[in-house]
Amino acid sequence: MAPFVQSNGASILEDLFIILHSQNMKEQLIKIQKQAEREIDSISSLEGLETFRIQYLGKKGHVTSALKKLGELPPEERPEIGEMANSVKAEISLMLERAKNRLKSGEIKKEYIDITLQGRAPARGRLHPIDIVNREICDIFVKMGYRIVQGPNVELDYYNFEALNFPKDHPARDMQDTFYVSEGVVLRTHTSPMQVRVMEKQQPPVGIIAPGKVYRSDSDVSHTPMFHQVEGLLVDKGITFGDLKGTLTGFVHQMFGKDVALRFRPSFFPFTEPSAEVDIQCVICHGKGCRTCGNSGWIEILGAGMVDPAVYGFVNYDPEIYSGFAFGMGIERVAMLKYGIDDIQLFFRNDMRFLRQFY
Amino acid sequence: MRVSLNWLKEYIDIDYSPEVLAHMLTMSGLEVEGIEPVGQSLDNIIVARIVSVAKHPNADRLTNCLVDTGKEQVPVVCGAPNVMEGAKVAMALPGITLPGGIVVKKGKIRGEPSMGILLAEDEIGLTDDHSGIMILPDDSETGASLTSIFPVKDYILDISLTPNRPDCASVIGLAREIAALNGNAIRMPDIQYQEAGAPIDELAGVTIEDTSGCPRYAAGMIQGVEIRTSPFWMRYRLHSSGIRAISNVVDISNYVLMEMGQPLHTFDYRMLSGHRIVVARAKDGDRFATLDGQERILNSRHLMIRDVEKPVALAGIMGGINSEIKADTRDVLVESAFFDPITIRKGAKTLGLATEASWRFERGIDIEGVINALERSLSLLAELTGGKVCRGIIDIYPSPHKTPLIELRVKKTNEYLGTSLTREQISPYLRSLQMEVQDIDYELLRVKPPSFRVDIEREIDLIEEVARMHGYDKIPVTFPMMSSDAGADDPTIKLHDQSCAVMTGMGFSEIITYSFVSPDSADKLGAGEDSLLRSFVQLQNPLTVDQSVMRTSILPGLLDTIKENIDNGEQGLRLFEWGNIFVRRDNAPLPVEKIVLAGIMTGQYEQKAWYNTVRETDFFDIKGAAEVLLKSLGYKETVFKRDGITTGYDQDASCGIYISDRCIGHLGRVASAVMERFDIKAKAAFIFEVDIDALAEKELEPIMKYAPFSRFPAVKRDLTVIVAEETESSLIRDVISREGGNLIESVAVFDVFKGEKIGANRKTVSLRIMYRSMEGTLDGNRINKLHERITKSIMNETGGTLSEG
Repeated sequence: MAPFVQSNGASILEDLFIILHSQNMKEQLIKIQKQAEREIDSISSLEGLETFRIQYLGKKGHVTSALKKLGELPPEERPEIGEMANSVKAEISLMLERAKNRLKSGEIKKEYIDITLQGRAPARGRLHPIDIVNREICDIFVKMGYRIVQGPNVELDYYNFEALNFPKDHPARDMQDTFYVSEGVVLRTHTSPMQVRVMEKQQPPVGIIAPGKVYRSDSDVSHTPMFHQVEGLLVDKGITFGDLKGTLTGFVHQMFGKDVALRFRPSFFPFTEPSAEVDIQCVICHGKGCRTCGNSGWIEILGAGMVDPAVYGFVNYDPEIYSGFAFGMGIERVAMLKYGIDDIQLFFRNDMRFLRQFY
Repeated sequence: MRVSLNWLKEYIDIDYSPEVLAHMLTMSGLEVEGIEPVGQSLDNIIVARIVSVAKHPNADRLTNCLVDTGKEQVPVVCGAPNVMEGAKVAMALPGITLPGGIVVKKGKIRGEPSMGILLAEDEIGLTDDHSGIMILPDDSETGASLTSIFPVKDYILDISLTPNRPDCASVIGLAREIAALNGNAIRMPDIQYQEAGAPIDELAGVTIEDTSGCPRYAAGMIQGVEIRTSPFWMRYRLHSSGIRAISNVVDISNYVLMEMGQPLHTFDYRMLSGHRIVVARAKDGDRFATLDGQERILNSRHLMIRDVEKPVALAGIMGGINSEIKADTRDVLVESAFFDPITIRKGAKTLGLATEASWRFERGIDIEGVINALERSLSLLAELTGGKVCRGIIDIYPSPHKTPLIELRVKKTNEYLGTSLTREQISPYLRSLQMEVQDIDYELLRVKPPSFRVDIEREIDLIEEVARMHGYDKIPVTFPMMSSDAGADDPTIKLHDQSCAVMTGMGFSEIITYSFVSPDSADKLGAGEDSLLRSFVQLQNPLTVDQSVMRTSILPGLLDTIKENIDNGEQGLRLFEWGNIFVRRDNAPLPVEKIVLAGIMTGQYEQKAWYNTVRETDFFDIKGAAEVLLKSLGYKETVFKRDGITTGYDQDASCGIYISDRCIGHLGRVASAVMERFDIKAKAAFIFEVDIDALAEKELEPIMKYAPFSRFPAVKRDLTVIVAEETESSLIRDVISREGGNLIESVAVFDVFKGEKIGANRKTVSLRIMYRSMEGTLDGNRINKLHERITKSIMNETGGTLSEG
């Protein structure tokens, strides 16, 4: 605090009054502007505006009165407060001008916007439903830490069959109707060759997801000769069948909903053992039984299993050290379930009336 | 495989409903795909007695029967040849629906009243016999329900077998599996017969020349059989398994096949020259007529059953006409053998022939079950044919099968499955599957699988059996610790996601077309004789010609798609596809496989709306799309050049897309001849194609990085020049940037005008140049001078003139 007696001899009380006064003025001006802002919007006639103008900017108006008190302030305070008062005055003038325009234009012609008219629409393309579902599936696994890989569609018999433990002349090869290209070359019948292609290039840990096109010489109401699969593979130390169950349970819950039950039942694939088919509770009838699930309440969506040690033999992994699981699913099937599509051929006709339904 | 539940129950007690059993089997790996009720309508079918038979007055083949239904006597018109007075027959009264869906009605047949139908076995859904009406035993009670005579209320289970479980491809095989699940004991069928005939050694002999193709061959004989129809129960069971009944001898071999899983073959003994069986390979070019009446041309892959003169059967696949069982066959030689799976598979494959027998041999049958099945068939033959079984059997089995002993570690099992099972839990699981289990110590078991389990050879096979018996549903759900994968990311994945976002944002919809196309697609694109577009990867077994080669270009699919959609009435289309193309290489087994992204536009640029006037899509729409795409992917220095690589494109309205002098794609208008050949009903279509694999290469990879920008004001100068029509704007731009150097911030062509005023073959090009410096505010005079210099250089180099005003 300043000393009681200042050099110019003015009393402390006087000083104090002036300080308070100038503070007070500032506050008052701000108050005036805020009040004007509040009032102006509700004025709906030019007469009302005139009253408003007089009330604030007239000779006895709020701002003018405030300016008149400027002389009561010590000279050094005046410029600041003066400037502030002027800016408030200008602000209020501007408000008046805007309000005038608003009212005038309203009087001449009230603009009516038909807000129900279609907006100017930039063109919008759609993703193919297969791509949409593929992304959804891959995203789930990428979040779990898997890496996306891709490989050739025209594939060596070695990768498509042999290194996946489908020996030549083995009935397991009958499980898939194969398109042949030449001796030892086929159109891949599944995305599983990517398991071998990845494992032969690197040592564990391996955690990959391999989406892509696959081909089988089968075409009827429920089959197309080309379709899409997603393959998954996880190989590391200590991976168990329980981990496979957990991973696919997590996947199904994210893909189809947390309340969708699933079951694992024994099956056979040459490159996994134990092998499993994974059924989910029918998403159409919620397990009650309907046409889609053949009244069983369950829908088969995944093939899976622990990687067969025979496969490790082809990629020089030691099955005494490493273990892992693989799984695969058809994307068309998942898309058909998700979107209620009843004809698989629709995916490859690319009819806009079909494609436009997805986004 | 289809199997009758009642038949199954003959070997094992099943205390569950068919649905519960189906669920148990499915959950243990034998997927039941269907349960089909049989004989559910038998309650409604009654035993009737034919009181009298009279000729139908108006039809030769019909008879008027008077039938006693137990309540009354009614007339029934019948077409069967075997109606007799006094016969007890199966009858459906009016109002009944038969299994085939036919509703029985009162009515008149050719003018004669008929109050029901006398039924054949197939009409009741029991067998496929339609040779006459079903004649019931004489002591059947007239008027009683048919169920009182035949308790055939049954269910047929349709089971999908995986290739590793051939042991389940029989009724007993399934019963064994059910026994493992429910703990009940198996009842094996009775094998009882008297060897009343001559010793077999005196009648026949067997020689195996190819012991790798045929490790075991056994034969038995029966003399003096009488060929006739099999009894109802056997025909019913065969029918329920999908096998047609023929005659007692043949039916018995099929019956034992279905019952025990061992394929048998029966020969007419008198047709076997030298009364000797020789198992040997065929010679290339041998001809042989199989039972189905087809002449087969053989090669050395085919294992044959021969007599001393000729082949008599394709081993393990199908018998021959020359030795088949006929109505007058008296003596029968029965074969029960084990053939090598691969030999049978190769043989069957090359002939395109698959039978119940070959299916089982390919997958592996029980080599130790050969004799049991043979004896079972001899026992049935003795019972049903009236013949006498010869004394003894022949069994050639040079090197008996050795069952493997497999060690199973309890710890490994648990580590693998994520379980904590004890030895005391594991052993019973395996024993229930008829495995011999020896405890070595608390952690190690030594296991001997039964001979029919040809799929069990390794520890992992046992671990699977443990998992199966324990129940997959009881294995705890855990989540793996994910360590990050060591491999590198595929850069095309990111490009795919970004491209799709940009393309859809520009109004292009994604399509997916087949990777295989018609070989004439190259012709339709106008490919030259040596064009790479003709380096097709050809399929050996295409489904149709239209899908017989892998695409070398992504354009045919896009063009076909717009054709279809235009035909469906679409006015304007923007489509894109991301997919592989395939170019054959003669020096490598696999083709070059490249990812390509292509876009196509045709028709109206946008739909007519209240705010626009509609125009047709043109060249600059596709070019703009390609430019925006590449910029959005980070490729700033893209150059568009006429480069003459224009298959499918209109030469005058197309160009190559270059980055760092690498051609990474093309764009332009589709050649009108191509439009015609693809039958596209549109004025024009525009396409671009980009080689994604090239974009993904390391050296072209864009780097997103900040560069400082000038804080000083820009100076704007406009310039309009009149130049020859073929002067390309890029030339003018090049001059500006060369002369202006780093003072040029941007150049934009804001107008191009052609017209009479300008003169023929000339155009005006108006450009806006923004000058700006990093160092400071630009001096007006300096810019004027520079602008003047630039203008002069443009004039000099283009031969143009400055536009007045």
